[in-house]
Amino acid sequence: MRLAKINKAFLVTGTLLVLATIFVFSTSRSTIDYSTQVKPILNKSCITCHGGVKKQGGFSVLFRSEALAKLKSGRYGIVPGDPGKSEMIRRINLKDPEERMPYEHPPLTGDEIEILTKWVKQGAQWGDHWAYVPVQKVEVPKPAGSFFGLFSSENDWGKNDIDYFIYDKLQEQKLKPSGEADKATLLRRVSLDLVGLPASQSLAQQFLHNNNEKAYERLVDSLLSSPHFGERWTSVWLDLSRYADTKGYERDAGRSIWHYRDWLIKAFNEDKPYDEFLIEQLAGDLLPNATDEQFIATAFHRNTMTNDEGGTENEEFRTAAVIDRVNTTWQSLLGTTFACVQCHSHPYDPFTHDEYYKFMAFFNDTRDEDTEADYPVLRHYNEEDSLKVRKVIEWLNKNNFTDRARPVYQFLKTWQPAVNSLLSDQFINSELNDTKWLAFRNNASARLPHVNLDQSNELIFRYQSSLPGGVWTIHVDAPTGPVLKKVTVPATKGWSISSITFPARSGTHDLYFSYTNSGLKKPTDNGMMFDWFYFTQSFPGKDRPGYDTIKNTWWQLLTKEVPTTPVMMDNPSWMRRNTNVFVAGNWLVKGKQVEADVPHTLNPLQKNTPRNRLGLAKWLTDKKNPLTARTMVNRLWEQLFGTGLVETLEDMGTKGAEPTHQQLLDFLSWKYMNEFNWSTKKLLKEIVMSATYRQSSKVTKEHLESDQYNRFYERGVRVRLSAEQIRDQALVASGVLSVKMYGPSIKPWQPEGIWMSPWNGEYWQTSTGEDQYRRAVYTYWKRTAPYPSMITFDGVGREVCTSRRIRTNTPLQALVTLNDSAYLDLSRQFAYRIENEMKNNDAKALISRGYEILMYHQIAPGKLNALERLYNSAYNKFKDDPGKTCEMIGVNDSHNNPRTAALVVVANALLNLDEVITKN
Amino acid sequence: MTQKELHNQRLVREAEETVARMHTRRHFLKECAMGFGGLALGSLLGCGTGSGSSAASSIDFDPAHPLIPKLPMFPGKAKSVIYLHMAGAPSQLETFDYKPELMKLDGQDCPPSLLEGKRFAFIRGVPKMLGPQAKFAQYGQSGAWVSEHLPHFSKIVDEVSFLKACTSDQFNHAPAQLLMQTGGARLGRPSMGSWVTYGLGTENQNLPGFVVLTSGGKFPDAGKSVWGSGFLPSVYQGVQCRSEGDPVLFIKDPAGIDRDLRKASINAINTVNEEEYKEYNDPEILSRISQYEMAYKMQIAAPEVMNINNEPQYIHEMYGTQPGKSSLANNVLLARKLVEKGVRFVQIFDWGWDSHGTDASLAIDIGFINKCRQTDRAMTALVLDLKQRGLLEETLVVWGGEFGRTPMMENREGKQNPFKGRDHHTEAFTMWMAGGGIKKGYTYGETDEIGYSSISGKVTPHDIQATLLNQLGFDHEKFTYQYQGRPFRLTDVAGKVIEEIIT
Repeated sequence: MRLAKINKAFLVTGTLLVLATIFVFSTSRSTIDYSTQVKPILNKSCITCHGGVKKQGGFSVLFRSEALAKLKSGRYGIVPGDPGKSEMIRRINLKDPEERMPYEHPPLTGDEIEILTKWVKQGAQWGDHWAYVPVQKVEVPKPAGSFFGLFSSENDWGKNDIDYFIYDKLQEQKLKPSGEADKATLLRRVSLDLVGLPASQSLAQQFLHNNNEKAYERLVDSLLSSPHFGERWTSVWLDLSRYADTKGYERDAGRSIWHYRDWLIKAFNEDKPYDEFLIEQLAGDLLPNATDEQFIATAFHRNTMTNDEGGTENEEFRTAAVIDRVNTTWQSLLGTTFACVQCHSHPYDPFTHDEYYKFMAFFNDTRDEDTEADYPVLRHYNEEDSLKVRKVIEWLNKNNFTDRARPVYQFLKTWQPAVNSLLSDQFINSELNDTKWLAFRNNASARLPHVNLDQSNELIFRYQSSLPGGVWTIHVDAPTGPVLKKVTVPATKGWSISSITFPARSGTHDLYFSYTNSGLKKPTDNGMMFDWFYFTQSFPGKDRPGYDTIKNTWWQLLTKEVPTTPVMMDNPSWMRRNTNVFVAGNWLVKGKQVEADVPHTLNPLQKNTPRNRLGLAKWLTDKKNPLTARTMVNRLWEQLFGTGLVETLEDMGTKGAEPTHQQLLDFLSWKYMNEFNWSTKKLLKEIVMSATYRQSSKVTKEHLESDQYNRFYERGVRVRLSAEQIRDQALVASGVLSVKMYGPSIKPWQPEGIWMSPWNGEYWQTSTGEDQYRRAVYTYWKRTAPYPSMITFDGVGREVCTSRRIRTNTPLQALVTLNDSAYLDLSRQFAYRIENEMKNNDAKALISRGYEILMYHQIAPGKLNALERLYNSAYNKFKDDPGKTCEMIGVNDSHNNPRTAALVVVANALLNLDEVITKN
Repeated sequence: MTQKELHNQRLVREAEETVARMHTRRHFLKECAMGFGGLALGSLLGCGTGSGSSAASSIDFDPAHPLIPKLPMFPGKAKSVIYLHMAGAPSQLETFDYKPELMKLDGQDCPPSLLEGKRFAFIRGVPKMLGPQAKFAQYGQSGAWVSEHLPHFSKIVDEVSFLKACTSDQFNHAPAQLLMQTGGARLGRPSMGSWVTYGLGTENQNLPGFVVLTSGGKFPDAGKSVWGSGFLPSVYQGVQCRSEGDPVLFIKDPAGIDRDLRKASINAINTVNEEEYKEYNDPEILSRISQYEMAYKMQIAAPEVMNINNEPQYIHEMYGTQPGKSSLANNVLLARKLVEKGVRFVQIFDWGWDSHGTDASLAIDIGFINKCRQTDRAMTALVLDLKQRGLLEETLVVWGGEFGRTPMMENREGKQNPFKGRDHHTEAFTMWMAGGGIKKGYTYGETDEIGYSSISGKVTPHDIQATLLNQLGFDHEKFTYQYQGRPFRLTDVAGKVIEEIIT
């Protein structure tokens, strides 16, 4: 083991510490530990009936305060210090099955009863679950007798601190680690892990032929700096952020939100510190002078679904989206199940029902209202128009309208804060068209409630009008109240934006609209329809030089149809939405009103931060937050090793899986925050540099006996590649991978008849040229009909956040790589590539080359024989049947000959080999 | 011993044997994990590499063999399910729920008592009442009322149990279909078929365990999520079998590769994998080998079972099938064939039942009658055909939509629709079940005299799910999957087995 020079002072301190620990441990030996001894018993045998949802007999063991409270019977379940007076202890000791606890279950064992009795006697102290205690610095468990920092010779296996932790556990289990994997295997493994692609031929040659001990580190460094790095890790984040290119639900129409995907790729590539990475995604819009990029980051939580189905209650689906944001935040960023607190206090973890809604309050005051256009959106101006936007703002600043610059800018970039017409009510001869837009027939009226007119004298509105001659009147405060404005509305071609001015008013008012148009022939015909209303002050500076030009520029920019991305944005104060507890989780039954806050058992909100999403983001990335770093470290570990240190990535709570190496998890989490300053690349490097990671993945009989699932890491990882990696690898092998990055999602070949959403005219138009061959991360993702071959390989629908994919092994997967036309196409390209490189007809040489391209090492004779036999039978078939060759290659293709056709069959087989679709 | 007991005994024995076989194989594998010589093709090797993540679940999930048959909790009466979902929600008032009183109110303004505090998807203001747009008569020993639009169905009224007072709490299609099929109105939960294949596996390893067939030209409104696997492993999602294109995606050998060549290539792949196994000893490799063998067999089995050309003429006449066409009738016949071959769950969706009256195809007195014609002959044939093959007792057949229709005529946005139609209605609709231990010729539940509200025997989607699981041998309250730190059920926190309709 190579270790940095260790100074003696440190060693002495270390020794003392160890001694101190031993001392503390031995004196407290008879003290019962809540977390490791008591809690498992309570969780297994008590909490189902006595905690969270159910409190049989008035007894709950979830919180200490509940457990010490008086029971329905008048007795006390637990009397600290006095087991004799504690009903719980009495009942677990009884023999009568009617009275004995646990009821209708096997009795507790003698040991269990003893533990509980002692624990009550010692005062019945509650402890905290490890995952809810802030991460502390962890001592590296260097083996006893090796205070000089060296393993004895048999243990020179270790490479860095991670290995000490792993070795320690292995020793405990009397297991031994495996040696390092061969170079080719390691090359392929680390490359697939870090960039999601097999290494390029040049990188491979550099590494395989370099015997310098630094060669591996150099390889790791070049992979970490590859632009493909960001693409690979973005794939992981897309499942968490439930990214999709459609809105979901019935119509599942397209949504343009790919800028967010590109933001992720860039953020991973530039190694944006994880705390900033999260702050921008949760609250980028609230950062001072937020940039477009920071707004785009907030699309993280605009990946919630929007329901365009006719007849749906918009508020219901807005609420559903907000709830999804809460659940996703907890599941993906905090590794904790919070969804159950929606309906009742958490049955196992220390979160109360109210706390769910306090947390929800952080997300509940946003501008989105389940509108069809996914408002609020960021409007993307092209470069020329962006310059114009800047000119408008400069003109305002120059002319001392600095207070107007911000709202004018915001409105140009987002059309906010506008009042959506779907908030209107009191319809007469009017309705929400398709429950989306306020529509008027002849002699119509409707109300737009609660509009702030403070200092406004202009209304900008988006609408369409089917024929001229309509008269639209706006009354204030009553249907017959004072007229604010009366206008004649011209016909429009589709949606249009207009503005009207009115005498300035102040205060909040209900506005009553009426509309007449005698040109409407049938009483059922719609005349005019609204999207939104924006009340504002007129563009200032009428008397200043350049006013006409700049106002004109402003108006053109404002009304221009430009691409958009849904983003997060909070309501202005007058639109503020309060948050109430939903009784039993039912959004229609509102309980008491709550203010935004975080659960009381975790770190408090930072002082001097606002109680909004930004404050929340700061809380989440506070080093005192016990969950954030652990969750991410665990996730990265799972991506590299196939299983997390806590297997249940989505739940590190008391009902989640036990951590296999909690100390290691904490050690890495501490280092991630404090030494690596949240650098994900540094953390990944630390892990892949370890001997633990570099082990050979060969399984022995002993392994199957002692550690079948490799929980103690006595060997390297061996798992099937992800859906994305399988496709990307085939693209690389066949030499057609397009390295084009970013932009709208692409549509590679898929079978007919996959897209069949009702009320949706969209169809799959196969991309052309190099776009067919771009990395899987760019594939268009339709929620109700995702790309089928990726779903077969355990891809997820991305309707809601998914923390981990469960790997399965089914015949349908074989059918994809054997028969999917996309894979056949790649098999062809792969064969052509091999032929091109080899320029000879020797089957053995061709097959060997194909294998080497995929595996970076020579093919074993037995494997070569099998594939050569396949080549020969294919060749004989194609030779005798030119028709089959044509079917395989295409008539007018220069590759149309039986040898090539046979090689295509072999190339297809190669892409199906277990070792090829597996990370060894 | 009664017929029923014999049947139960057989089911238990079948499942026990399978489990025993699995264990023997595992044992064998462990013993022979080293020094494994040539592996014969055609072997079905089982090797447990379960992740053990679903600790609280009673179901043994083996990712290498996720579809291996498993024992239910208790002997179920049904082995398989055919679920006919009429997507869009058929009107109960023109099919099974005979309401002569409603005719008297036809054309009158809807009384305010039916509107107060209610919310409808499209009805606004005061709509008119709409009398039944069909004549009814009573049939069979049970004297069940059936509409003239379903002339064939009158033959099987004594085979089914009607649920006349079905209700839902979702009045939009996508959420209501999700509730009916997954137990939750939001996306992300596993569908019934996924639960069932997760719990029972499937008998025929050469076919998918959970097959979905769609007709009507569109997917159901909630898309593939209604047959998705939610948080269950994705292997349990429904596999869509199609009457056009490949019957199962990617099942056909590509151009230029015939069966011999495919066999040769799978042989070569598996030989290489065996070599790989010698070196790495990872049991997962063995399971890959067996999956490739199964894929090869599935390539033969699936197109075979999906081909209805060879069915005798009388069967085509019975179902109204036309080979080569995409239709509900073809799918219903396929469902019978699939169940016969040991497929566990066949889910049929037929789109086009959303009779709002916004156009002729969605008019209750035009398009709706066509839809009835299509479903009538096929569903009747299915029950009779299963019966004549002795399969009805072990096959549970369910028919229904996601909610019902209003006794009022729809007036979208407060104005007259161009055709006669009914809006979505959650308070009353009819479903029926047959076979699989369901009472014959029975009606449960009752609606008021205009078919607006359920007045007795009210059932919810969760009750229907609980009953379905019960018939397959699962206690819906105990059949759980551990996810996000808590056990999840198909029936969420509700549901009660409808004991009244069970034999």
